[in-house]
This record gives sequence, C-alpha cells and structure tokens, in this order.
Amino acid sequence: MPASRFTQTGNYRVRYQQDQTIFATYAEQLSLVVLLLALLLLPLLISKTLLRDVNMIMIYAVAVIGLNVTTGYTGLINIGQAAFMAVGAYATALAATKLNLPFFLAIPLGGLAGAVVGTFVGLPSLRLKYLYLAVATLAFQIIFEWTVGHSPLLAQGGAIILPPVEVFGIKATFLNHNKVWYYIILPVLVVMGLLWRNILRSKHGRSFIAVRDNDRAAAAMGINPGVTKLTAFLVGSFFAGIAGGLFAYFQKAVVIEDYGLHTSVQLLAMAIVGGLGSVPGSFLGPLFIVALDRGMGGLSNFMSERQIFPPGVDAATALRPLAFGLSIMLFLIYEPRGLANWWRLSRMYFKKWPYKF
Amino acid sequence: MNKALALTALISLASFASAKDITLVWSGAVTGPTSDAGSSYGKGVEDYCKYANSEKMLAGVTLKCVIRDDQYNNANTQSNFEEFVGNEQIPVFLGYSTGGMLQIKGTVQETKVPTLTASLHIGIIDPPNNQYMFLPVASYSENIVSLLEYVAKKERGAKVALIVNPSPFGRDPVVDARKAAERLGLKITDVQEVGGNNLDNTALLKRLEAQGAKYVINQNTAGPVANILKDAKRLGLLGKMQFMGAHYAGGEDLTKLAGDAAANFIWVTSYYMYDEGDKPGIQLVKKIGAQFNQKPDVIRSVNYTSGMLTASIAIEAMKRSGSTINNVTVYKALTSMVGSKKFDPGFSVGPVTFSAKDHVGAETMRLLQADATGNFKAITGPMQSQMFKLIHPMK
Repeated sequence: MPASRFTQTGNYRVRYQQDQTIFATYAEQLSLVVLLLALLLLPLLISKTLLRDVNMIMIYAVAVIGLNVTTGYTGLINIGQAAFMAVGAYATALAATKLNLPFFLAIPLGGLAGAVVGTFVGLPSLRLKYLYLAVATLAFQIIFEWTVGHSPLLAQGGAIILPPVEVFGIKATFLNHNKVWYYIILPVLVVMGLLWRNILRSKHGRSFIAVRDNDRAAAAMGINPGVTKLTAFLVGSFFAGIAGGLFAYFQKAVVIEDYGLHTSVQLLAMAIVGGLGSVPGSFLGPLFIVALDRGMGGLSNFMSERQIFPPGVDAATALRPLAFGLSIMLFLIYEPRGLANWWRLSRMYFKKWPYKF
Repeated sequence: MNKALALTALISLASFASAKDITLVWSGAVTGPTSDAGSSYGKGVEDYCKYANSEKMLAGVTLKCVIRDDQYNNANTQSNFEEFVGNEQIPVFLGYSTGGMLQIKGTVQETKVPTLTASLHIGIIDPPNNQYMFLPVASYSENIVSLLEYVAKKERGAKVALIVNPSPFGRDPVVDARKAAERLGLKITDVQEVGGNNLDNTALLKRLEAQGAKYVINQNTAGPVANILKDAKRLGLLGKMQFMGAHYAGGEDLTKLAGDAAANFIWVTSYYMYDEGDKPGIQLVKKIGAQFNQKPDVIRSVNYTSGMLTASIAIEAMKRSGSTINNVTVYKALTSMVGSKKFDPGFSVGPVTFSAKDHVGAETMRLLQADATGNFKAITGPMQSQMFKLIHPMK
C-alpha cells in the first residue's frame, strides 16, 4: 500500500490487485472530481465558438480512444476509423429519421452498427499484419465512401438532416445547441473513458497488449490472437460508431464529406501526437490538432489578407497541411510517446515536488 | 414553434438595433480544396461590398465586409454560420460549398436567415428546409440539361457520356441528365466518376471511344477536366469527341490549365466574360477591380464576377428592405424580386428574379466555345432550358 492514501511519491504497488486500481490515491480521485466540476462550469466561461471547438475535441477524443484500442493497444494499424465513424453516423441518422428513435437510443445503435461492421472489416486481421492490414482498412474507407455515394437511402452522400433533441424538457435550438450538446457529449466521453479504463484492466485489455507485443508469445500463454484482434476491432469500432452518432447530431446533418480519408488520417495524427496506447493521449491529441488547425487557420487568413507571398504562390493553402505533417513528423522523431509522455513527466515532477530526485 | 418565433424576433430586433453597421459575411474556401475558385469569389464579394460602401448604396448604413475562410470544411461553415447569425445577427448569409450548404440547410430554416450560395447544387433549394436557400444563377442540373438540349438539336440520337466529380456536387445532376436524355432521344452510354487525382485518363477515354460516345459532358472543377482534355489531345480524340462542361468546369481556369487542348470546349454559364468589355456589368467588374487594386488574373476570373453578383443581390435586397434591415425584410425583398422588381446588375446574361417558389436567380444561360487562343466566345444567345422545368419542377 502507498505510505499515504492522499499522496504518493513512488510506486508502492506490491500486489496484483493494487496494480489493477484506476486511482492510486485520494488525490487522484479528487483531482478528477475537481476537473469534472470545472468542466461542468466551462460553458459559462467561454464563448459559443470556443465551446463548439471543445465539443469537437470531445467527439474526436471518443473516436481516438477507439483508434487507440485497435492501433495503440493491439497494434493493428487502422486507416479507416472515419469510415467506422460514418457507419455510426449513418446508422444513427437512419434510426432517428426512419425509426423516429430518440437520440439516447439512436446513438448507441450507431455504436453497435459500427461495432458489427468493424468486426467484419477486422476479419482480414486474422491473416494480415502491419502495412497489409492498414491497406485492408484503407480499402474499407474507399469502399464505404463509394457505397454511400451511390446509395439513394443515404442521400448519395448528400445531407440527412437530424431532428433537434430534447433533454429534460430543454429543446436544443440554434441558440443553445452548443451548450445542450456539451452536456450530452461530456458525460458520454467520461463514460466511454471509464469503460475503456475498465476494459484495459480486465483480461481482454491485457490480451490486447499481449497480442500487440508478440502474438505468438500471447498464443503460447493461452490467448487466442484471432479472437483478441476481432474483439479489438469490435471495441474500437464501437467507440468510433458512438463518436459518429454524436458528430451527426452535433453537426445536425450527416454528409459523407465529413468522414473522408482526410478525417481518418487526422484521427491517426491525433492518436500519434497524443501518444499511441495512452488514455490521456486520446484527449491531448485531439486538443492539440484542433488547436493547431485553428491557429493555422488564423495565420492563413492573416497571410491571405496581407498578400505576403508573390502572386501564384498559395502559401496560405499549404500552411495547414504543412504544419499538420510537420507536427506528426517532429513528434515521431523527438517524442514518439506523444503528449501523453509530457503529461506523465509533468505529473512526476509535481509528485516529487519540491524534491528534485 | 414559439421558440422559433422568439428566435426570429430576437434576430430581427437585434438587426434593427444595429442598423447603422451591418455585417455582410461570406464563408468559403479562401484556402484548401477549390480555393483557386474560392479566393477569387471571395474577393469579388469583398470588393463589391466595399464598393457599395464607397457609393453609399445603403443610406445611413455602413457594411462591414467580412470574408471568412472555411477551408472547404463543413464543420467550419457551420461554425461561421453560428458565429455570425448567433452573435452578429446578420440579415443574410453568403455561403460556398455543396457539402457545407447541404449541412446547414436545417439551421438556415430554423433561423430564417436567407442564404445565397456559390454552389449551384439543385438539392440546396429542393425540399425539405429550402425556404431560405437561394441560388444566384442556374443550377448545375440546369446547365447539364441545357447542354443535352444543344446536343439533341445538333444530332438526335447521339451517344453522350457523363464524367462527374465523385461527390454530391458531381453526382447530383446525373438523375436529371438521365431523365432529360430519355426525353430528348439521346443515349447516355456511361457515367464515370473522376476526381482531382486523375493524372492518366487513357483507360477512361478509350472506354468512352469504344462505346461510341460523341459528346462528353463534364460536371467537375476545371483541374480534372483539363487533365482529361490533355489526354484526349494526346490520344487524338479531340476531333472525334466534343467535350463540354457545366459552370465550374470551364472558364479562364480551364484554358490556363489545359492550354490548347481546351480549344473547342463548350461551356455553359450564366455570366458575362471579361472580354465582353461592352457589357455594363463587365465594365463595372473592371472598374471595381482597379479601384481595389486587384491583380489582372483575379479580375479576369469568372469567379470574381460570380462573387460580385452574389454580393450585389444581397446588398440590393438590403436596399429594398427600407429602413429596417433584418432577415425578415431581406427575405421579403428577395422573394419579391420578380416582374417589374427584377434585379439586373449586369454581371449575368439575364436578370435576377426570385419569388416564394422560385429560388434560382439568373436562370438564363449561354453556351460558349473556347477558341484557339483560349478565350470563350458565345455560340448561343441567352436562353433558358425548356426541358429542365418539366423534369425537375420547383417545389
């Protein structure tokens, strides 16, 4: 047991049960409670536009946790996460518009649809690894986009408008849309985060990591690598489906352009920058990429308005992809463990403060 | 219902309160995909807006001219709409892309803010949620149907192939094109999807040749069409097939990219060309461009003229709103822009007319053909598609 249940200056976990705990100290529990309370007050403190960005970050975080399940924790490279999001979004939209289901049923249904399709798409993982599996998921991304584009039921990729939601008698309107959805997305994110933390400490979570590190060794220990890989796709796609459902409602419509290959690459970048195989990284990655996007957008506007570069040189257009690619490259070279490692180092520093060693 | 009324009242009252300083915002792709068209379009909107201020078009009102880059991202379009309608209570919104406009249709309907779009996708003004959506000129679908009418006049029973962009922007006119072709006695031999990464179109063109397609209609942006034309020239198909295209497929952008391979390309558009210096609208484009120090290639672009037309419609509607300029009065002014109240700023080949049922502004189009020097010359007078109204009646 730690010397104190309130603070912990080192690793005092001596029993397997202790290693399974989510919170090592009361301080950790308290900090989470304080953080959640602060988050509950956030919409009162920030502008509507900024709140919209926060909502986007939280939705992306759900999808990135899912991507971390397959790619970060199980080592199955997935370049089709946006397509799994799209499956969830379209399933949610159909459930809401054709079956008239309320949002609290339509979104989980989207998650389930994502999970079913994800498990099916994960079948090649029984035979394929590494880049070959990445290409298989990429193929699904392309096939899905094509299928939606030619399906009259899905408006051929055009917009399927979702009805406004009502929560405890409060109807989401144009004026309160961001706030209402903030208070829906935040609990979903917390639940999904805790769900993953709990899966991670179960035998399934340990199987994912074992298969990632060495699937033959995992098989020798009695783990079925095939079942584990399919389970990873099931769980990862479920998260993506939930994110897709939230995104559909938040955007008020489903349009296939929102779920293209660029979104899959963006989600992968979020996972890499945040730190593959890390829960805090799943939050920090989306935060960084959305902030980078907004920052570069502002800089692009500035450069376009001032006409800094000579005619014919569209540097403003190149700025976003350049910053995006450069940040991924720099993280891979200098901090492959991503922002999650900076988070870990910061925590370590404060744990030991004021002692340096 | 009560909340919708309250929202409208709030927006209207707030607009009235700030009637001395009104924001005219355009949200579109200044950077990112399609920014080659979007940046010129945005400059057209901005310059006309500044020109309106310099000419004091709106008595006692100064327009705040805002160009907001949405980077061709639907979420950014939604964010821009929410920011300006929610925070600044603008009376009219100027938008851009097909995806973005389709996505905000529901929000536009809820806020009742008239929205003019650069995208000419017919689905934007089709039900549901279409009451406040307006297209400045004829839709892509109407463009394509008018090209088919032209083909049918030249050669009844001709084989036609469609090459469309792999997106809602590209695909939408296909249904109407099939219906029109059937009525006109034409045969659509193939519909192929081609995006911006079409570096080699040999297989595509050989396939169309094998099918005997004599006319190839493009619903795409200029880049992919230019690549197709260059490959067609290399394969010696330019004389055998007549290549044609809808509004965003042609113009200066195409001739700049395709060079002499663009010769004889037939293009349909509702706008006057830069070279038609005798037209009052083009004279105004040149005057405004020079006044705001725009580069020559920007002023030459049809997208610069397009931006000006959209801004001029919005500002004219504000002008006709009288002393109270808000979303309600602007909507009323737009939907009464018909008959003797039609609006003709001279940028398009026909006047702009809207009504409660008709949400297409300048429906008149012309067919133009590129000459050896890359300039487009009119081969028809201003006309409207007769067939389009039959196959796609306004609802």
